[in-house]
Amino acid sequence: MSIRLDPNLLPGLLASIQQSNQQLTVATQQLSSGRSVNQLSDDPAAVASLVGNHNQASQDDQYLQSISTIQARFQVADSSLSSVVTALTSALSLGVEGANGTLTPANQQSVAAEVQGLISQVQSLANTTFQGSYLFSGTAVNTPPFTINSVANTTTYNGNAGVTSVQLSNGNSVNGNVPGSQLFLNGSGSVFGALQGLNAALLSGTNIPAAVTQIQNALNTVDTQRVFYGNVLNQVSQAETFLNQDQINLSTQENALIGVDPATAATNLAQATLANQSLLDASGRILSLPNLLSFLPNP
Amino acid sequence: MSWMNSAPMMLLERYLDGTSMRQTLVSTNIANVDTPGYSRQVPNLEETTPVQIGNNTFGTGVDLASVTSLRDSVLDLRVNQETQQQGQLNAFISTGQQIQALFNETNGTGLQAPLTAFFTSLSQLSTNPSDINTRQGVLTAAQNLANAFNQTSSSLSTLQRNTDLSVTQSVNQINALTSQIAAVNLQVSSVQGTGQNAGPFIDQRQQLINQLSNLVDVSSIDAGNGSLTLTTSGGAPLVVNGQNFNLTTQADPTTGLQDVYSQGTNITTKITSGQLAGQIQIRDQEIPAIQSSLDALASGLANSVNTQNQAGVDLNGAAGGNIFVPPPANGVGAAATLALATTDPTKIAASAGPPPGSAGDNTNANALLALQNQNIINGQTPLNSYAGLVYKIGNDVSSALSNQQAGGLVLQQLQNLQGGVSGVDINEESANLVRYQNAYTAAAQVSAVVDSLLLTTLNMVTP
Repeated sequence: MSIRLDPNLLPGLLASIQQSNQQLTVATQQLSSGRSVNQLSDDPAAVASLVGNHNQASQDDQYLQSISTIQARFQVADSSLSSVVTALTSALSLGVEGANGTLTPANQQSVAAEVQGLISQVQSLANTTFQGSYLFSGTAVNTPPFTINSVANTTTYNGNAGVTSVQLSNGNSVNGNVPGSQLFLNGSGSVFGALQGLNAALLSGTNIPAAVTQIQNALNTVDTQRVFYGNVLNQVSQAETFLNQDQINLSTQENALIGVDPATAATNLAQATLANQSLLDASGRILSLPNLLSFLPNP
Repeated sequence: MSWMNSAPMMLLERYLDGTSMRQTLVSTNIANVDTPGYSRQVPNLEETTPVQIGNNTFGTGVDLASVTSLRDSVLDLRVNQETQQQGQLNAFISTGQQIQALFNETNGTGLQAPLTAFFTSLSQLSTNPSDINTRQGVLTAAQNLANAFNQTSSSLSTLQRNTDLSVTQSVNQINALTSQIAAVNLQVSSVQGTGQNAGPFIDQRQQLINQLSNLVDVSSIDAGNGSLTLTTSGGAPLVVNGQNFNLTTQADPTTGLQDVYSQGTNITTKITSGQLAGQIQIRDQEIPAIQSSLDALASGLANSVNTQNQAGVDLNGAAGGNIFVPPPANGVGAAATLALATTDPTKIAASAGPPPGSAGDNTNANALLALQNQNIINGQTPLNSYAGLVYKIGNDVSSALSNQQAGGLVLQQLQNLQGGVSGVDINEESANLVRYQNAYTAAAQVSAVVDSLLLTTLNMVTP
């Protein structure tokens, strides 16, 4: 004699139908959301990794923003310095003109006045601001870095020697500024010193060639310092490339963690639908099977 | 020769009686085909004691000795045990799913976004430390972070309070069931005492115990005479004979949450399965553990940010103060109460010391930013600590789900086996019906023949 089976098929059928419906819901949800993980319990480890992934993506966004700020600031600084170079080049030709001894004292006075004009021009370049902050005052960004005493023919630096450090990406930072003292009052290459020296030499008509040499030194110094900006801009643009690539990687990783391949999802849905329909069809047949009572003759 | 006249008729009458009672059983079984917990009843037929006349033994027919309800008490026990597990897991999962929704990072819900936003605002500050709008951005991000902590913690507290209400409701349901079981228990022993089939009452009792198993861990001991003694697995009495022992609830003086008492003893931590255990587990372990991780995160972050801000110089040239209101020293409630200590953006100390610092210096802003990569939360970075919490929450629900699924299959299997023993099969009942009908017809035919024989005999003596 065989083992007696549970004659009531309904609970088993209902459980199977419920399970099949659940698979159908999951398949639909995956296809519509494009994700295989929709809540923590679907894949706790993937969601924990996702936390790091999203954090890194937001950081990268922020680094890219920082980079565009640095680029804008450095372009302004570099263009100011480029104008300073132009001013120094003008001063150089004025100095050469004054040094060749053909100028009358009156002409020398007028050349000196031109040099004075260049000094004011360089002063205003050295006091350039970017978004309200002085670019060349070290970290004393609210203080105009250079004041000039035209009577004593001297320049005072009101900034400081502070250098900021700005992160470009994790573990990669660059200096965010060059203090004005290093750019414009740098020892024997001092820009203001050279211009003011040339001015004095022209006014007095003495030591003009030496003053011209000083201008040349200042020009060299500024050129050398400008290299820093060029280097940083290169570094920044490399960081930008890296961050853009990192964002692509992160997005790929996110997809691998919680995404679903549309083709697979669609196949899953089709399979779940088919399974569900077959199950309902079979259940319908089983439940409508006749029993022995149906065959008993009517009394 | 007088026995010849009456005996066959008596014998047939008894037989007809027996057959119609068997038909009654078939009807009862068919009528209860869909009754939950019903066990099919079968007749136990016995040949009645024969009579001895001279050297001959004459049969005296058949007797319906008893009716048995077919059930397997070991299966019943296993079903109850699995039901307890399911009850516990279902209760855990139902609230667990609400908890994990608070941290659903797959759709951007949770603390990662505000946590990251706080640090990116510091990163922004680092590129432009003197800008007042950028500084305001840091305060806004800090406020959003505090709000996120406050809301998450408050949502968890709400879930905890709701679960606390459910604990009280479960206790009430348990008491209602034990009082019904006690009543049925009495009926079982009184019916069994009379030697009759107590099966229908046992069905009813098993059905009630199964419902009780869904709520709490039940252990049953046969007290003899058909009576069952029910206790929790920790030994707290629930039903003894006709008496039920109510569980009670009482607010815990420290937590304010309802503790479960039996006979004056606090058994809250001794309840091991069933819905009540799942609710207590969520309320007293899962939610407090998450709250405490959030508190550690909130207080560790607030303290580190405050300490670092104090090390720097603010935009006014003064030494930095607190950004966040200092959290409680032991950290308890830090997430719920996290708040900003200042609304003045100049108070963020971006510059290094000593005062007056300088407006464009970002040394301390960088140091604040660097906190994101430092192990300031129980030996982990803030983000890793949070990711760990997310994993724990997801994993707890996920393992409960897989246990529930596995246990559900076992339960279904057991119920199938139970159905195999106790379930009513319409085909089987129909076959019996036909069999009894045929037998009844045969007996009736025999009595017609005896009747006609009797008539013939009577006619022989017609005057």
